[in-house]
Amino acid sequence: MQMHDTIFEMNNVSFRFPDDQSPTLSSISFTIERGERVAISGPSGSGKSTLLYLLNRLYPANCDGIVDGEIHLFDKPADCYSPGEINHRVATVFQDPDSQFCMPTVEEELAFTLENLNTPASEMEERIRHVLDITGLSHLRHVSIQTLSGGMKQRVATACALVMNPEVLLLDEPISHLDPYTGKEFILWLDQLQKTFNLTIIAVEHRLDYWETFFDREIKITSDGRISEDTIFKPHETLRYPLRLHSILDETVISATGLSVKMKGNTLLQPVSFHAQKGECIVIAGPNGSGKSTLVKAICGIYKKEAEKFSTDPCGYVPQSPEFLFLTSTVFDELAFGGTSSKLELDDLIESLRLTEIKEQNPFAVSHGQKRRVAIGAMLADKRNVLFLDEPTSGQDESALLELFRLIDSQLDQGDTVFIVTHDMEFAAAVADSVVLLKDGRMTGKFIADRVWQDEELLAAHNLMPPKGVKLRAESFA
Amino acid sequence: MRNLLHDMNPAIKFITVTIAMLGLAFFFNPWTPLLFFFSILVLQLVFSRINWKLWSLFMLPFVIGAFGYLWTTIVFGAETGGTVIWSPFGYDMTDEQLALALSLSFRVLAFSSLSLLFALTTDPVKFVMSLMQQLKLSPKLAYGVLVGYQFLPVLKDEFFQIQQAHRLRGAAVEKSWWQRALGVRRVIIPMLAGAVRKAERSAFAMEARGFTGEPRTEFYRPVQIGKLDFVMSLVVLALFLGSCVCGMLLSG
Amino acid sequence: MLKSWKLKEIVLMSLFGVVFGIVYLLFIHLGNIWAGLIGPIAYEWMFGIWFIVSIICMHIIRKPGAALIPETMAAIIEVMLGNAVGPRLILSGIVQGLGAEAAFAVTRYRHFNIFVFMLAGIGAAVFSFIYGYFVSGYAALDPSFVALMFTLRVLSGAIIAGIGGKYIGDALLATGSLRGYAIARTQPRDANA
Repeated sequence: MQMHDTIFEMNNVSFRFPDDQSPTLSSISFTIERGERVAISGPSGSGKSTLLYLLNRLYPANCDGIVDGEIHLFDKPADCYSPGEINHRVATVFQDPDSQFCMPTVEEELAFTLENLNTPASEMEERIRHVLDITGLSHLRHVSIQTLSGGMKQRVATACALVMNPEVLLLDEPISHLDPYTGKEFILWLDQLQKTFNLTIIAVEHRLDYWETFFDREIKITSDGRISEDTIFKPHETLRYPLRLHSILDETVISATGLSVKMKGNTLLQPVSFHAQKGECIVIAGPNGSGKSTLVKAICGIYKKEAEKFSTDPCGYVPQSPEFLFLTSTVFDELAFGGTSSKLELDDLIESLRLTEIKEQNPFAVSHGQKRRVAIGAMLADKRNVLFLDEPTSGQDESALLELFRLIDSQLDQGDTVFIVTHDMEFAAAVADSVVLLKDGRMTGKFIADRVWQDEELLAAHNLMPPKGVKLRAESFA
Repeated sequence: MRNLLHDMNPAIKFITVTIAMLGLAFFFNPWTPLLFFFSILVLQLVFSRINWKLWSLFMLPFVIGAFGYLWTTIVFGAETGGTVIWSPFGYDMTDEQLALALSLSFRVLAFSSLSLLFALTTDPVKFVMSLMQQLKLSPKLAYGVLVGYQFLPVLKDEFFQIQQAHRLRGAAVEKSWWQRALGVRRVIIPMLAGAVRKAERSAFAMEARGFTGEPRTEFYRPVQIGKLDFVMSLVVLALFLGSCVCGMLLSG
Repeated sequence: MLKSWKLKEIVLMSLFGVVFGIVYLLFIHLGNIWAGLIGPIAYEWMFGIWFIVSIICMHIIRKPGAALIPETMAAIIEVMLGNAVGPRLILSGIVQGLGAEAAFAVTRYRHFNIFVFMLAGIGAAVFSFIYGYFVSGYAALDPSFVALMFTLRVLSGAIIAGIGGKYIGDALLATGSLRGYAIARTQPRDANA
């Protein structure tokens, strides 16, 4: 496409956090040319983000990290740049839509960015107008950022990056907090912008299947922080889950007729009616704000509800951040807190949830997957055998998703009922027996899962994408 | 004209209000704070468009507080002398004690009306910008404060979510207020742990956009400071001085 | 002084200020009801909640200013939220912060144990009481009543802020979220000492 114009060069770089014994990254070498679209992939905790932070100079200063080897940014050694000097040429968009802003409105946030660069005040207006125009966000100029959806916040964050006229855009898992539908829209939008600005894009990502053919190069990092592969990008296949057999038993655990939720005079959920069986896996899906959480919290007794008829077995709830549930300082105490299970039952539970090794550890200090198992354990220890998992797939890498699948599968086999709130239809297709679809505070219905996957229209009406694997299967049958 | 208090430079307003409050602390006669309370009221009537309903709502707890102050000062007042004017329940109250008690409770009222004058006419973000631009507050602190301000609704929501989750586990059924108070500690830990993560992410996002904490030279919307700001400041201080003089004359 | 501070540390102090601001709001309602009945003494017992941010932040960050700055930032945020106590809060925030800071300065920022934290809580209480004595005219009250208020406030500072702050800081450290902050680095040495 063009002559060699090296943007970044790393030569045998290793990086260690001061508190750690072993390095997070070792013997990293690569060069990146202008205009490339590079994906950096690898399991969680492999140091992908650390690598990105070495490119925008957030590290080593911010963590007092120890760097070995040479890092060249635009043909100059990285340490030659004073703080902030590189950041208007190398802009970054981070993963969490909720913690990237410090000002109330979109316009003020853009102005904050320009003020950082000491842009003359007379130019600011024009640059703000221009970037909003190009990103298609002009209508949001005076809107309060906190009121925007996650997808829109990520666009605003990108606009804030672009207003600096950067040469490189670094993306740190930019869609991991978005639902797949919104994520896909974001990628298409970004694709256009890359072409307009001829940006060099480097993205850290673990769900590359959503990006289809966006990238042209992939650097794979191993879990011990080395480069295992540096190749031309090939589109990733959707994660394949093992096949699951139905485990529904003929025993009703929830039966609801005309269940509705009102709060301060507003009806948050119109009357819904459904049943759930022992051993059934039910996915609850629908657009943001459609009433999914309201339904779950009402069934679990967190919200007040009205119903013509309602009966349920004890319900357990695992929020998206499982640590919200934690009350004690060891994993064992966490399970024992309710005092419903005997010592023997607790030991069995700890064994079956694979918590034995971390039994004495602080529940806040274990990994995210372990936290979820602790939370589920706490619910089961209280004999709450109807489980509600709120967005368990959000931000998880492939091995975490497989682990989650196996966990849910084994709970279902033991006769527990599992409700899952999720946007991830691939995951839903792998586990669900039935699907409850919600929209605008109304339940569209409770469907048999296999039927829903074939009905693209129904899915699209709920901002959902048909699961990829299933579609393939249907085609191969034809 | 009714915009004047709203348009006033926030830093100047802040300093003016603070001077008046500290000045008020030197007066122990009932008239000075009472007169000043009314002058502030008139000032707001003339120069502002505040929501008086809101004002009354905010004022109410202070009126209650002022009443609490009144009787505490009467019952637990220092020995002052003066003549006994009333002896309920065998307790002698002197005129000087009453004057002092009234003075302190009027002071509470005057303080509150000054505070509300500031709170109801000042845009919070502009206030911090003004602290940075006029009073040279470090940008690191100023924007640090703004991030915290942005996070308030998020953190509040988290607080209730954690409480809900704990209630589900049967941990938050404590009835009495001190049990609730102790229960708060369980909510605090996950919130603070989350706050540590959010703080790092926000700080990184700011630095990735070139924020260094150095004093900045260019502002998109500079917070203006003009002659009128000093005039308004003088008006407030003149009202204060007037109240002081009149108060002293009235109380002999 | 601010040069040596990382932005993430400053933002952390700000967010902690907000968290305790929320907690404080829950408690102040309790105070308001009592204040009408029993006067200003109603607030005394909970003053410690105000000082606790200073002590937790110093416990975690261990730099000169880590007690004064969060208290000041918390106060500015309170004012931004339209707190009806108003601009006066910023002054009292600074005064309280200085009180806590003084205890750490006297011990030359070398010791971070329960006694120093309690001393810091007491420091904040004493400073804020002197300030309150002047601004709210405690001079008009009977000395024994003033002494009672003072004792309550000092106890609240030592117990809620000092012991509570240490307890919360330690509990937070145990959650593993404080990696990269001074508290996580110096802990082993303190344990040996």
